[in-house]
Amino acid sequence: MTLIYASIGFFALAALLGMYLLSFVLKGKETPKTIVFTHGPMAVVGLVLLIIYALKGGPNPTESLILFVLAAAGGLFMVFRDLTGKPIPKLLAVGHGLLAVTGFIFLLIFAFR
Amino acid sequence: MMETQSFWEATTPRRPDFPALEGDIETDVVVIGGGITGITTALQLTRAGKKVVVLEARRVGGGTTGWSTGNLYVPVGPYLHTISKNRNLETMQTVAQARYAALDFIEMQTREKNIDCHFARRPWYFFTQEEDMVSTIAHEVEALEIAGFMPEFVTEVPPLHLLQVKKAARLDGQARFHPLRYVLGLATAVAKHGCKLFEHTTVHDFKEEEDHCLVKTSHGNVTSKQLVIATHIPIGIHTVQTVASPYRSYVVAMRLKSGDYPDAYFWHNDKTHHAITTHSTDSMKLDMLMIAGNHHKTGQASHQEYQHYFNELEAYARQHFDVASVEYRWSAQHYRSGDGVPYIGLTHKSAKRTYIATGFYADGLIYGTVAGMLLADMISGRENAWKKAFDATRGTNLATAAQFVKENVNVAAQYLKDMPVGNVSHFSEIKPGEGKTIEIDSEKLAVYRDEENQLHVCSAVCTHMKCIVNWNNAEKTWDCPCHGSRFMVDGSVIEGPAIENLQRKKVDIPTEHLLTEKVPPSGERDLNNPIA
Repeated sequence: MTLIYASIGFFALAALLGMYLLSFVLKGKETPKTIVFTHGPMAVVGLVLLIIYALKGGPNPTESLILFVLAAAGGLFMVFRDLTGKPIPKLLAVGHGLLAVTGFIFLLIFAFR
Repeated sequence: MMETQSFWEATTPRRPDFPALEGDIETDVVVIGGGITGITTALQLTRAGKKVVVLEARRVGGGTTGWSTGNLYVPVGPYLHTISKNRNLETMQTVAQARYAALDFIEMQTREKNIDCHFARRPWYFFTQEEDMVSTIAHEVEALEIAGFMPEFVTEVPPLHLLQVKKAARLDGQARFHPLRYVLGLATAVAKHGCKLFEHTTVHDFKEEEDHCLVKTSHGNVTSKQLVIATHIPIGIHTVQTVASPYRSYVVAMRLKSGDYPDAYFWHNDKTHHAITTHSTDSMKLDMLMIAGNHHKTGQASHQEYQHYFNELEAYARQHFDVASVEYRWSAQHYRSGDGVPYIGLTHKSAKRTYIATGFYADGLIYGTVAGMLLADMISGRENAWKKAFDATRGTNLATAAQFVKENVNVAAQYLKDMPVGNVSHFSEIKPGEGKTIEIDSEKLAVYRDEENQLHVCSAVCTHMKCIVNWNNAEKTWDCPCHGSRFMVDGSVIEGPAIENLQRKKVDIPTEHLLTEKVPPSGERDLNNPIA
């Protein structure tokens, strides 16, 4: 379970930074790239830890994994749009956040049930 | 503080004017960029019977060509022996031979077109006073010999009277010229032969379609069969920007008390590299000494006080020459390729109509000519033996992977500096003559306070790929540390891959809040000197 707890830690930090980034997107402002490029890698580390845990066999948080992978794809798409000068759709940013938060709740339930 | 001004700009007496584009036109080839690369390409294509249009955002020759150092030579900054190691012997030989052919081409043009640009042949010296650099000189001499040239080791560098030269070599048959007069001479000649040149015409967008290319400008659209992007680095977002890194270097031009100007071009490579050259103002008589060097990545000066770079060059000159006065100081940009060879050719593997030329290092006057000759041959369907060596789609290889990673990690590190705070917290902290970034209402602003205490406010987010621009206090510009875009204090693009100007902003100074009222866009790129 250590992997799961570590994963939760990384996702929690990523979530905090994500909320901060969302405030910029919703205000139509440029996102600070330090936060963007810290938020993403933190979530990636959390996801990688989760994948390692799942590969070990036994019960695993499948719903969380699926939601996090979808959220990651959305995140990459948003970074691509941002750096190439296209606006980030607010709906996509909110959707990305909701997917990740839902995945995070599922993960907490899995870890502490 | 002495302002920057290029010697070439200051000593070009009669400058031909070319009109701005008006309306939509069609042509065979459109060339974006009126520097030595674009104009040479246009010349060769016009000679091949093509209808050519050249679009220049400012003035012809007013970009990097008019801010160079006017030296024509076969050797290259990244060294021929390094190219041999990074690529292969054949590529190194091709590069050296192409450069020599380009040098001959320039000489021929000056004679054929009677261009008063002070072209003169003279030797190149490469020397060091340090033991560590001895092998570099030996290897470069060997590479030149393999490429078919006849350099010779010399025991001293006569015109400089330097003590303790550890190793020195000399190569005859190199040259000097006035690059701006040359390019303007070429432009005038090519315009007489039907090529249409348009100045003050900024390209905002371009694309390659199945059967044509479309270039959108501030004054109309150009439809063409082929497109050449001769803008030093391709404008807009391009994969070559991951392998061609932007650097700045500095030049100081001085008069000597003795009037005894050495007639040669020198590379003094110790721990730091200094290039020494001499030129003439308005005759063949040498009357100006120039020292160039102090390369650093654009927007990433190790010394926040950029004047340091000029001061160091001046100190070097005073150590070796009887300097009477410093006349001009300027800086120029160059792009370094991963393997030391420029990228010249089709822009992508799937491209059929769009060509680029970039990654010239600080050797661009010759490489720009090489590019013009090569691209014109490619577009005209003529065979050219240089094509493979300069292939723009070659990407990186194992030998240069480390350099590729280093440069791109450096770009990533610049993004990581974009913290949600500025250099200062209040406008009052910005002194007259200073530029700082400041965060106001969740927006990062680039703010310059001029000597009259007026604030010039723009977004600090580079319009190319959203890095935060840094202040360059020598040239009073905003320079992007990621891909080298540079902007004037009003946000107008000077050079680099950015197409759009920095967005101008209006602020309420007492409350330090952004005002929502619309601010007129920055002026077009109609100034040659960012300071003028």
